[in-house]
Amino acid sequence: MRAVVADADGAVTRDGITVRYERHGSAAPSLVLLPTWSLVHARHWKLQVPYLARHYSVLSFDGRGNGRSDRPTGLAAYDPAEFAADTLAVMDATETERAVLVSVSRGVLWSLRLCAEHPERVLGAIFIDPIVPFAFPPAQRALLARFDEPVVEDPVGWEKYKAAYWKADYPDFVDFFIGRMFTEPHSTKQHEDAVAWALETDPATMIATNHGLRVSTAEVMGRLADRVRCPTLVIHGSRDAICRHSQGVALAERTRGALVTLEGSGHCPHLRDPVRVNLLIRRFVEGLGR
Amino acid sequence: MRARQPDRADVVERDGVKVAYEVVGQGDPGLFLIPSTPITHARSWKGLVPYLSRHHLVVTVDGRGNGGSDRPAASEAYGPDEVAADHLAVLDAAGLTRAVVIAHCHAVPWALRLAAEHADRVSGVVAIAPALGLAPRDEHWAEPTRRWADEVDDPSGWALCNRHAWLQDYPPWPRFFFDQLLPEAHSTKQYEDAVSWALDTDVETMIAEREGRDAPNDLDEAEALCRSVGCPVLVIHGTEDRCQPVARGRRLAELTGGDLVVLEGAGHLPHGREPVKVNRLIKEFVDRIEGAPMRGGVWTRGLDRPKRALYLSSPIGLGHARRDVAVVKELKRLRPELEIDWLAQHPVTSVLEAEGERIHPASAWLANESAHMASESCEHDLHCFQALRRMDEILVANFMVFQEVVEEGLYDLIVGDEAWDVDHFWHENPELKRGDHVWMTDFVGYLPMPDGGEHEAFLTADYNAEMIEHIARFPRIRDAAIFVGNPDDIVPDTFGGDLPGIRSWTEAHFAFSGYITGFTPPDPDEVPAIRAELGYHDDEQVCVVAVGGSGVGRALLEKLIAAYPLAKRRTPGLRMVVVAGPRIDPGSLTGLPSDPGLEVRGYVDRLYRHLSVCDLAVVQGGLTTTMELAAAKRPFLYFPLRHHFEQNFHVRHRLDRYGAGRCMDYATSDPDLIAAAIADHIGNPVAHLDVETDGAARAARLIAELV
Repeated sequence: MRAVVADADGAVTRDGITVRYERHGSAAPSLVLLPTWSLVHARHWKLQVPYLARHYSVLSFDGRGNGRSDRPTGLAAYDPAEFAADTLAVMDATETERAVLVSVSRGVLWSLRLCAEHPERVLGAIFIDPIVPFAFPPAQRALLARFDEPVVEDPVGWEKYKAAYWKADYPDFVDFFIGRMFTEPHSTKQHEDAVAWALETDPATMIATNHGLRVSTAEVMGRLADRVRCPTLVIHGSRDAICRHSQGVALAERTRGALVTLEGSGHCPHLRDPVRVNLLIRRFVEGLGR
Repeated sequence: MRARQPDRADVVERDGVKVAYEVVGQGDPGLFLIPSTPITHARSWKGLVPYLSRHHLVVTVDGRGNGGSDRPAASEAYGPDEVAADHLAVLDAAGLTRAVVIAHCHAVPWALRLAAEHADRVSGVVAIAPALGLAPRDEHWAEPTRRWADEVDDPSGWALCNRHAWLQDYPPWPRFFFDQLLPEAHSTKQYEDAVSWALDTDVETMIAEREGRDAPNDLDEAEALCRSVGCPVLVIHGTEDRCQPVARGRRLAELTGGDLVVLEGAGHLPHGREPVKVNRLIKEFVDRIEGAPMRGGVWTRGLDRPKRALYLSSPIGLGHARRDVAVVKELKRLRPELEIDWLAQHPVTSVLEAEGERIHPASAWLANESAHMASESCEHDLHCFQALRRMDEILVANFMVFQEVVEEGLYDLIVGDEAWDVDHFWHENPELKRGDHVWMTDFVGYLPMPDGGEHEAFLTADYNAEMIEHIARFPRIRDAAIFVGNPDDIVPDTFGGDLPGIRSWTEAHFAFSGYITGFTPPDPDEVPAIRAELGYHDDEQVCVVAVGGSGVGRALLEKLIAAYPLAKRRTPGLRMVVVAGPRIDPGSLTGLPSDPGLEVRGYVDRLYRHLSVCDLAVVQGGLTTTMELAAAKRPFLYFPLRHHFEQNFHVRHRLDRYGAGRCMDYATSDPDLIAAAIADHIGNPVAHLDVETDGAARAARLIAELV
C-alpha cells in the first residue's frame, strides 16, 4: 500500500509520446522530482513524496521508457532535451509556473538544461549523486565509449555495461548494476525494489536511453553548468560507486552551490538514507525564502 | 558584564531630543529591535542580542524616555509621529536600508506603522505580546484606565496604575506590574531586571508618555493598521499574559496573514523568560522570509560514525581544567576510539592547548564567564550566587553557541563539568537535547550568606527549587550525574524552605567519583629533591602565598605582606614567597618591605609543585588549591572570599571533613593574628585524611558506561 495517494494525476503527450505524472500536496512552492535514467520510474521517490507533500506541491512523473509512460523507440526520443521538455509540459499542465527541481544521477542531464535554458521556471535545484561528464574519471569515459562493442567472454563487473550484453541477459546486468548502487550493508529491500522497477522496462528501450548520456559531453554539460544562476545543492555519497563523489564536488563548484557529503553512503541515498535526504531537501527549500 | 558589547553606540538627535541606539554584529537581513519604552529600554533584549548578532546586524534603540535617550517633558514629544521619525532616523544612522523589525507590547503598533508606511524598509515584523485594541483587554484594566486621572484613596494592585498614585510613590507600580507580568515560577531575576529598567526613568516621563501616547486602541483603527501591513508577520504571545490578552495576538496574526506562536503558560515577557525559544523562533522566521542559503557539510551514516564526545569545562578558575583533563585521559584509556572535542574558553583553553586537546572552533564565540566573575569581585569579596544570577545573559548567549554546535556536530555524548548553561537550558527546553548528557559538579545547593537576610534565603531556595523540579520533571536530561567527591563532603544543610536535605537528595540523584586531583602529589621521599630544585633550603621555613589566576586576590596578598614583619619575628628563618599570578602586576603591590625573606613573583610555572613542598601555604578558599594542599599533606591557612557561599560553606565543610587547613576570616584577621597563625602552623606535620587519587578513573568509568 502506498503511504499517500496522489491528489491529482494526468498525462501530457508530445509528438505522440505520453508521459504520466502525479501531484501530491498543494502548498507552495512546487517541487518537481525529476525522472532519472529509465532503469527506474517515479516510484523511486516513494520515500520522499509522503513527507514533502505535507509541505509542498510535489510533481513527479515516470520518465519516458518506464513506468506508466510510453516506451518510444529510437534514440532521438531519449535525448535530454526531450526529458527537459516533458518536465516543462508537466509543469504547464499543472499550472506550475516555477518549481524547485530535484534530480538524481542521470536526472542532472535534464535538470541542468532546465536551470540554464529556463531560469524563469526554476527556483532552485538539488542534484543528488549527479552524473557529471566534465568530471568523469578516465575509466568511466572509456567504459561508456565501449558500449556498442562486443561482449567479452564470461563478462564480469562493468564489462556487462554493453548493449549486446543487455540484449543477452538484461536481468543479470540489472542485478549487477543495482548491486553497485547500494554499497551500504543491509540494503536488501532497496536492491529488490530497484530490480523490480528495472524489470518493468525492456532491454531495447534501455539501450536507446543510453543515447542521453552519449550526447551529454563534458563540453555540453560544462556550458550548461556555467549558466546556472539559481541556488543549488549537491548531495553526494562518499562511497557512490556509480557516480564518484568527485563528480558532485565538481558540479557544486561549477554551479557555486552547497555540497553536502553523505559519509558512508552509496548511490541513491534518497532510498537508503531517506530521512536525512528528506530533511536536506526541506532545509534547502525553506532556505530559499518566501 | 554584558555577553556582547555593541560594536557602536550613538544617538540620533531630532528637535533637541536625543535617542540612543546600538549596533552589533553583522549579516543580512538586519534586525531592528524596539522595546516598549519608556517602562523599559533596550537592555530588555539582552537575552536575544548576543545570539541574533552572531547571524545578523542587530540595531537596538532605547526609545525616548528611558535608557540612554532623553526624557522630554512634554506629552506631545511621545506622539506616534515623533516615535516613527525616531525609528527612521535610527535606521538611517545605523545604515539599515531594510530590516526585520522586532517589537514588544506597545512598540508593536510602532513597528506595524513602520512596515505600512515604509514597506521598502521592513521585510518582516515579529510582534511579541502586541498591544493593539483588536480584542478587549482583561477586566482588571477597566477601572484604572477609566480613573487614570482621578485621585484614588490608598490604591493597590491594578489601581496603582494611576496618575496621582504614581506622583505620590511610583515604584510600587512597576513592582506590582512586573510581578503580574511574570506569572512563571522562578522568575526572580527577570523580575528584578524589569523593575530596575522601569526605575531607570522617572515618573514625570512615564506620565508624559502615557498621556502623549496615541495608540490605536479603537478597534477599527487597529484593524486598519494591521490590514495596511503587507510584509510577513510573526506573533509570539503567552497565554498567561495579563498585560495584553492572547486574543489580540491571535487577531493580529489573522489580519496580517501572519503566523501565531502561542506560548502556553508564558506571561508578558517571553523574550526575557524564554530567551532560547524566542531566539529560535525569530531566527526561524527570518530565515524563512529572507532565505538562508544552505551551507555544505558532511553527514555521516549512523553506523559509519566514530563515537564522539563534546566536553565542556567550567571556565571559572583553572581547577576544573586540570581535573577534566585528568578525567579525559582516563576516558581515552577506557574508550580509545572515542573522539573528544572541547567547547571551552580562556583560561581553560590554555591548559587544553598545552595538552594537545582538540578545541571546537565555536569556542571563540563564547562570552567569557571568568571575566564576568572578575568584574563582579572587589576586595576579597565575590558574591558568587548573585554573580551567577547576573551572568544570565552570558549563559543564554553561550547556550545558543553550544546548541548550534551539538545540532551540527553529531555528538554521542556531552560532558558538562559545571556547564550551568547546558544543564539549565536543556531542562528549560528539553526538546533541544542532543546526545547523552553527563552532569558533573563538586557542590550541590545554593546557600544564602547570613548577611543576605531572608530575601537571599528566599532566592537561593527558589533557585534550588527550580533545579529540583527540573530534575523531577525531566530525569531524561541528565543521563548521568557525577558528584566530584564523597557523600560525606556534602553539607548538612537543606535546600531551604520546605525543600529536602541536600545530602539525601544528592545521594539519590548522583553517583560519586571521589575527589579528582589534577596531579599526583609527591611522595614524602621526593620532597627534599623538589625543594632543592626550587631553591628552598632546609634552614628555611617556606611560606607560599598564592591567590590563583584571577585578579581578585590583591587584597589578600597585601594583607600577608603587611603581616610579614610580625610573622618573621615569631618565626625565625621565615621565607615568604608571594605569588601574584598572571593577572596582578607584582610591582604594583603596596607595603613591600625590603627584606630578603620576602619575595614577590609573577606567574609561577607549575605552582602546585611549590605548594606541595612548602612548609605552609596561605591561599583563598577555592576547592582546587586547598584540596591540592590537602592531598600533598601540607599545613595551610585559607581565607574564603567574602560572600562566596561555595568557599564559605561547601569547600569549608569538605576541608573540615578531611581535617585539612585552617579557615581564616579575612575581615577580622589583622597582621598580629595572621603572624600568630603562621607561627602556629608552619612546618607542622599534618595528620588529616588521605585524599583519594582514583577520582579521575572513577569518573571516567561512570562516563564510559554511556559510550
